[in-house]
Amino acid sequence: MITNGETLIKVEDVHKIYNGGTLHALNGVSAEIKKGEVIVIVGPSGSGKSTFLRSLNLLEVPSTGRIFFEGVDITSKKTDIDQHRQKMGMVFQHFNLFPHKTILENITLAPIKLLKKSREEAEKRGMELLDLVGLQEKAHAYPSQLSGGQKQRIAIIRSLAMDPDVMLFDEPTSALDPEMVGEVLELMKELARGGMTMVVVTHEMGFAKEVGTRVIFMDEGEIKEEGSPKEFFEHPKEPRLQDFLSKVL
Amino acid sequence: MTNFVDRFTLNFIADGRWHYIANGLLVTLQITFFAVLLGITLGFVIAIIRSTHDNTGKMKIGNAICNIYITVIRGTPVVVQLMIIYYVVFASFDINKVIVAILAFGMNSGAYVAEIFRSGIMSIDRGQFEAGRSLGFNYRQTMMYIIMPQAFKNILPALGNEFIVLLKETSVSGYIAMQDLTKGGDIIRSRTYDAFMPLIAVAIIYLIMVMIFSKLVSMLERRLRNSDH
Repeated sequence: MITNGETLIKVEDVHKIYNGGTLHALNGVSAEIKKGEVIVIVGPSGSGKSTFLRSLNLLEVPSTGRIFFEGVDITSKKTDIDQHRQKMGMVFQHFNLFPHKTILENITLAPIKLLKKSREEAEKRGMELLDLVGLQEKAHAYPSQLSGGQKQRIAIIRSLAMDPDVMLFDEPTSALDPEMVGEVLELMKELARGGMTMVVVTHEMGFAKEVGTRVIFMDEGEIKEEGSPKEFFEHPKEPRLQDFLSKVL
Repeated sequence: MTNFVDRFTLNFIADGRWHYIANGLLVTLQITFFAVLLGITLGFVIAIIRSTHDNTGKMKIGNAICNIYITVIRGTPVVVQLMIIYYVVFASFDINKVIVAILAFGMNSGAYVAEIFRSGIMSIDRGQFEAGRSLGFNYRQTMMYIIMPQAFKNILPALGNEFIVLLKETSVSGYIAMQDLTKGGDIIRSRTYDAFMPLIAVAIIYLIMVMIFSKLVSMLERRLRNSDH
C-alpha cells in the first residue's frame, strides 16, 4: 500500500483513567497514523484497544494527553469536535443503524443535515453506495428487515456517505454469524484497496495479514509491539504477543 | 319505563338542566386540552435537562431544581396543589379559574410526563447516541433526529395513559368551585335529589371520552410501528 507519508492522526501520551483512578484503560499511548495506512489493532479483551480506537474521535475523552487530527488538537476544549467527527467515519460492533429510518434515510440523514446536501443529491449518492454493496433493493426497507452482514455493510456506507478522511472500525465482525463475516471483510478490503485510511480493531488475523499495512498489539492499556504484518506475525518479539498469537492463530 | 322517561326529563330536560352537563363538559375539555399541552412542554423540558445531566454531567443546578419539582409535585395530592394555587398563590388576584386549573393540572402532569420522557430516552441503546455523534451530529441534533423519535414511539402507551389519568383528575376542579363535568352532574343531583341519573350520565361521558382517546392513541401507535417488522 502506498502512503504519501502525510500524518493524519497523531496521538501523544494518552491516558484514560476510570472509576477515580482504579482502572487504567489507557496507559500512555502514543501513535502516528499516516494517510492511506490500514492499521489493525489486536490484543486480548480488556487490553484497551477499543478505548484507544474510541478516543481517536473522542467518544472516549482522554484523561490526559493530546490527539491531533489533520493537524488540529481535537482534545482542546476550543475545538469543535462535531466538525472533525464528520471526517472520521466509525463502524460499531453492533452496527447501530437507526431503526426508525429506512436504509436510504440512514445513509442520507447526516449528508442532508450536516453537509447541507439536497435530498436528491444525497439520495443519488446513497444509491451509488448501495450499489457498491449490492443492496440497492433494500433502499426502502428498515434495518430490522436486514441480516447482520447486510446491516454492517449499510453501517459502513452510511459513514462513507460523509466522505470521511479516515474510517474507524470497532470489532466490525464480532457480532456477526460466521457465514456473514466474509461479506463485511470483503467490503473493508475493497475500501483499503481504494486507499482509505483505516484503523481497525479486530480478531480477524487473516484480515490483518492480508490488508494491514501495520499491526499494533495492545495489552494492559499500552502498545506493546507494532510492525508490518510479516514481521508481526512471523517474528513477534514480546512474550505477551507470542503468547497471544499462540492462542488465536 | 315511564318512570325512566320521567326521571330523564326531570334531570336533563326540565329547566334546561342538560346545560350543566354540556357546559361542564366544555370546561373539562378546555382544562384537559391545555393542561396536556402544558404538561408535555414542561415534561419535555425537564426530561431534557435531567437526561442531559445524566449523560454529560452538565446542568447541575437545573437538574437539582427539576428533582425538587418532581419530588414535590409527585409527593402531594393534585387537589391540594389545585387549592394552593387558587387560594394561596392567586389569593389576591382576580384570575379566571380555568387558567388556574390549567396551571395546576398542567404542572402536575408535567412532573409525570417528565419521568415518562426520561424513561423513553434511557430506553434507547447508547450505541444510537454514539452512532449519531460519530457522524458529526452535536448533542442536540442527535437527540432531535435519532433519540427522540425512537423514545417517543416507546413511551406512547405510557403517555396515553397519563393523559387519561389527567382527563379524569380534572374532576376535582369542583374544589375551587369550578363547574366542570363532574360538578355539573353534582349540581343536578342537588336540585333533583336523584343521584343515579346525573352521576351515571357523567360517568358514561368520561368513559366515552377515554375510549375515543384510547382509540386515537392506538391508531397513532400502529402508524409509528411501521419500522418494526
